[in-house]
Amino acid sequence: MRSLRVGIDVGGTFTDLVAVESWSGRTITQKLASTPKEPQRAVCDVLATLLASYESPPAIELLAHSTTIATNALLGQIGLELPRTALVTTAGFRDVIEIGRQNRSEIYNLFVERPRPLVAREDRLTVRERIDYRGRILTPLETTEIFRVCSELRERGVAAVAVCLLHSYANDAHERTLAQRIAEALPAARVVRSSQIDPQYREYERFSTTVVNAVLAPIVEAYLERLVEDLQGRGITATLFVMRSDGGMASARRIRSLPAAIVESGPAGGVIATAALGKRIGASRLLSFDMGGTTAKAGAVVDGVVQIAGEFEAAGSTHSGRAVKGSGYPVRFPFVDLAEVSAGGGTIAACDASGALRVGPLSAGADPGPACYGRSEHATVTDANVVLGRLNQTALLGGAFPIDAARARSAIERVAGSTGLSVEEMALGIVALVDHAMAKVLRIVTVERGIDPRDFILVAFGGGGPLHACALAEELGIARVFVPEHPGLFSASGLLDAPLVETELHPLLQTTASIDWAATERWFAQSESRAAQTLVEQGARAQSIVFRRQYDARYRGQGFELTIDHDGSPKALERRFHDAHRARYGYDAPGEAVELVNAKLTGVGSIASPKAFDSVPAQPDVREGDATAIVRGVYLEGAWRDVPVHRRAWLAQDRRIAGPAIVEEYDSTTYVPPSWSLQVDDGALRLERAQA
Amino acid sequence: MIDPITVEIVKGALVYAGEEMGITVRNSAYSPNIKERLDHSCALFDRFGRLIAQAEHIPVHLGSLPWGLNRMLEWIGREHGGLREGEMWVANDPYLTGTHLNDVTVVRPIFYEGTLAGYAANKAHHADVGGAVPGSMPADATDLFAEGVVLPPLRLVRADKILDETIGILRANSRTPEARSGDLRAQIAGNVIGERRLLELCERYGRQTFEDAVERALDESERAMRAALRSLGDGVFSASDYLEDRDGAPTIRIALRLELRDGVARFDYDGTSPQVNAPLNAVFGVTLSGVYYALRAVTDPAIAMNEGCFRPIEVHAPIGTLLNPRRPAPVSGGNVETSTRNADVVLQALAQAAPSRVGASSGGTMSNVMLGGVRGDGRPWSFYETNGCGMGARPNADGLDAIQCHMTNTLNTPIEALEREFPLRVVRYEIAHGSSGGGRHCGGNGLVRALELTEGIARATLLADRHTLPPPGAAGGEPGACGVHRLQREGSETAEALPAKTSFDLRSGDVLTIQTPGGGGYGLVGDVAPGASGAFEAEARRAEQVDDSNRAAPR
Repeated sequence: MRSLRVGIDVGGTFTDLVAVESWSGRTITQKLASTPKEPQRAVCDVLATLLASYESPPAIELLAHSTTIATNALLGQIGLELPRTALVTTAGFRDVIEIGRQNRSEIYNLFVERPRPLVAREDRLTVRERIDYRGRILTPLETTEIFRVCSELRERGVAAVAVCLLHSYANDAHERTLAQRIAEALPAARVVRSSQIDPQYREYERFSTTVVNAVLAPIVEAYLERLVEDLQGRGITATLFVMRSDGGMASARRIRSLPAAIVESGPAGGVIATAALGKRIGASRLLSFDMGGTTAKAGAVVDGVVQIAGEFEAAGSTHSGRAVKGSGYPVRFPFVDLAEVSAGGGTIAACDASGALRVGPLSAGADPGPACYGRSEHATVTDANVVLGRLNQTALLGGAFPIDAARARSAIERVAGSTGLSVEEMALGIVALVDHAMAKVLRIVTVERGIDPRDFILVAFGGGGPLHACALAEELGIARVFVPEHPGLFSASGLLDAPLVETELHPLLQTTASIDWAATERWFAQSESRAAQTLVEQGARAQSIVFRRQYDARYRGQGFELTIDHDGSPKALERRFHDAHRARYGYDAPGEAVELVNAKLTGVGSIASPKAFDSVPAQPDVREGDATAIVRGVYLEGAWRDVPVHRRAWLAQDRRIAGPAIVEEYDSTTYVPPSWSLQVDDGALRLERAQA
Repeated sequence: MIDPITVEIVKGALVYAGEEMGITVRNSAYSPNIKERLDHSCALFDRFGRLIAQAEHIPVHLGSLPWGLNRMLEWIGREHGGLREGEMWVANDPYLTGTHLNDVTVVRPIFYEGTLAGYAANKAHHADVGGAVPGSMPADATDLFAEGVVLPPLRLVRADKILDETIGILRANSRTPEARSGDLRAQIAGNVIGERRLLELCERYGRQTFEDAVERALDESERAMRAALRSLGDGVFSASDYLEDRDGAPTIRIALRLELRDGVARFDYDGTSPQVNAPLNAVFGVTLSGVYYALRAVTDPAIAMNEGCFRPIEVHAPIGTLLNPRRPAPVSGGNVETSTRNADVVLQALAQAAPSRVGASSGGTMSNVMLGGVRGDGRPWSFYETNGCGMGARPNADGLDAIQCHMTNTLNTPIEALEREFPLRVVRYEIAHGSSGGGRHCGGNGLVRALELTEGIARATLLADRHTLPPPGAAGGEPGACGVHRLQREGSETAEALPAKTSFDLRSGDVLTIQTPGGGGYGLVGDVAPGASGAFEAEARRAEQVDDSNRAAPR
């Protein structure tokens, strides 16, 4: 039977679809404008468009989806009003979620604001109880307290309840009792307890994670239900999978109880696709670089493993690549470790009063867009690329989108103004500055994490990634760049590569000398059997399931942990920790006690598929005389030169091109600078720097 | 001539290097004060000791780190013939390093191809550096020596080897020696990163181009700062406010005359009280920090932070006064309390030049709490934290509740981390509703934090302000409520009020409650601007309060 594997990525502007045909291995892509108020509409429509292109629609074997619904809800997007949610916490601590960490997100901004608390103060109820850090009950939770709080909750008519008691990671007895009784008293409400969602110490982050999960539960559940219904209405009954923030898949049913796991569903896809590309080309150390109109994102794959971070500031802001503490709602859940910067094609360049040239962080976005789009005077990175001849000076999107090169030139000319630089030099400068800002995010996920980027492969995608990739690679000392097929849809293609993932965490807070190793091994074993069962229930092939055991470790007394793989040997674990600490901070202290903060289990399984199939690269549409492709003037090293411009679809496998060259395709342009060469490798463009 | 693009790239790389230094110090530090609260700052300097990049961590280190570095360099030059390659130096003498004894500065000279190329330096707040009380900020100190060990500049690293004997001095003088060595190692690690990044820039662009880019970056910041000052208009403005002495009398005066003329700002503190016999004196570096903070907040925080920013700013504080004391006046609270009031005064002067950019006064104290003692098993402990307060109302919005204002931006210590590391239990931690000042826009509320000692006896020191003279409102707004300290002894039914600045013994079962001041309101109560939350909500917020005692704050 003919079938399709389909991935659909809902972004702010577009809903992207990538599908692979079982019978041909061919990759098909579709793009539709997103429908933010009812995102499921665009999902169904884009799928219907795909199916309508077949005479007899093939079966859908896999339907994987990434969504921004959780982030958009937290950002207060209209049409996604947050449900009334209550918090039940220890008496004396109702404001923990509002006070946060007491810091302001911008030090010098006297007009700074805090994110609005997700639970109104009148809906924060307290109970008399207290457990200490060792898990000892100091004040028992009385039945009368439970009754009182249940009846107060009933009066309020809340849709969700977060139960967050102090030190519940050390002893969850009170939380369990409370959550159970509240669930019985309010059968329609979603009840979430912190010891289940995020059993780690530091109350604000745990409470916040739990509250985010509670607030999102009704929204995400309703959305997924509507989506499944609409799909069924069109006869599509395949299981729906949703991408988690850590790049793993989970069934829609599983996500209903874990909506906090999909807060960063969208951006994870690009890194997953990068890891999958690495597998195909036999590379295990890769950096993903995704550049769009307004932001650039970087992630890392180290030894075949997508790098994961443990905390994220949901709906918060970033400052030059890093999340700004206090700007959003902390969610402690595994996330693909992405660094993000406000830099993209739409980034605006200007000279300030002191004569300093500033590129970003303001962006002209898609509307009004860069000057060359014809609706603004903004000198942007895209305009600089047009001026330099790196981007097509007549039209983009395969000729569908006209470009006003003269307008781009006069915009850049205005910035050059009194600086004494020519228009071309200024354009080069703008590109150099935006490259510098973007290189920083690549540095954050490598150098700042104790990783040397020089032996990595840079995988560049998004509309702008392939245009800037070689310069960034040079900046980081990287010699090889890959530009995948369909760079603009590469993130969506990650949906087809992602395995099912389950994670569990167990708090320890004990030193390697005092810990009961047998007990943690037992926990790992039990956790593995729980994870295996959940994975199989979601559709994983039992034989495919593999586990990763890890510890979060630090020197006793430190406040920041490094995540270390565990193979069963305590000695090896300690050694790996010392090594990791030295790599990251330049020193280790082998004499000092090593404290294990958490045990972590990750279970990974592939989705059972009777006819697993791989995509094959598109066959080149080789034309006569393609070698003498069009030639365009490109500004290089102080002079204009004629540079060949190739159509990507016309490039044959193994075709080799020396830089300078340009490769154009529908949604992206690759720039091959002098001293770089290009080869078509299994559908991807492989760019290599000449040995110096 | 160097092109503006290289200048921008070098500027960006320097800022990034500063940030990376900060992250390194934080992530490898041992004491909760640094690792949880981020009470540290990192910076890079050129070979002349001019600030070329500083990571934004804590405003109170903003001016004091560059001021202190230059004094340290002079001293080392005079006494030891300068810093050599492969060395790091450490010091905490406030009269040299620019804040208080707890802030330990570590500096690394950076050599490129054998000649000096610059310095990496950082400053971190060590929770205990000895002295009369745990936390090293005794409220009754009458000289510097009661506040802890005074380290003149000492070699900490020689030939890239850590000198354990130097660390040993700090260890021997601290109640928590383990954390001292861990934190110093973290500070060393931070400087190593800073050095590496600066050398990479020299390598990449060549030393000359790098230095030209720095020169140009400093000039740009100077031009930007001058333009920003010019935009405030010319004029002469005066402002003053008071700190409370140990007896609670608000008699310690900060007086400021600000002259803005043609892009230059002159700050003259003539009329400020003489130095006091209490730990409220602020060394001149701290005074500079208040000025730089306020100017940065009122002008353009996007101006690249470097020595160029300081050029159009002149600050005069007479020697022997609160804001420029003579050694060995005690200074531990100058860094926290006096610096906060100084920021209030500078902002109120700037408010006259730019009324739409400055709001009412914030809580005006860091509400320092220091506790320490010896645990049952003989392990000493020392705990320090500052507490947020109510932010002053803004011209267009309410102030925020329970937040660190102005000169600090440290994070709170999580309750679950605090209870794990110290024999303390937090019994209450809430917003002090009802403590904000009313107005067209209300001030923010302060917070309430109650701590119980769970074991043995501890020495407690409280250092706060705004317990008798409340934070004023602006444009007719009401003042915020004063702060309150209460102590409920084990077994007692009632709580006694404690002074704002005091040291005492805390016994197991005693509960200490800190309530911090609310922010002042902005505009008249009842004068409701369209769309503003206004007086109605102010009433609603008051009615909502949890605890009547929040309202009963003594005036």
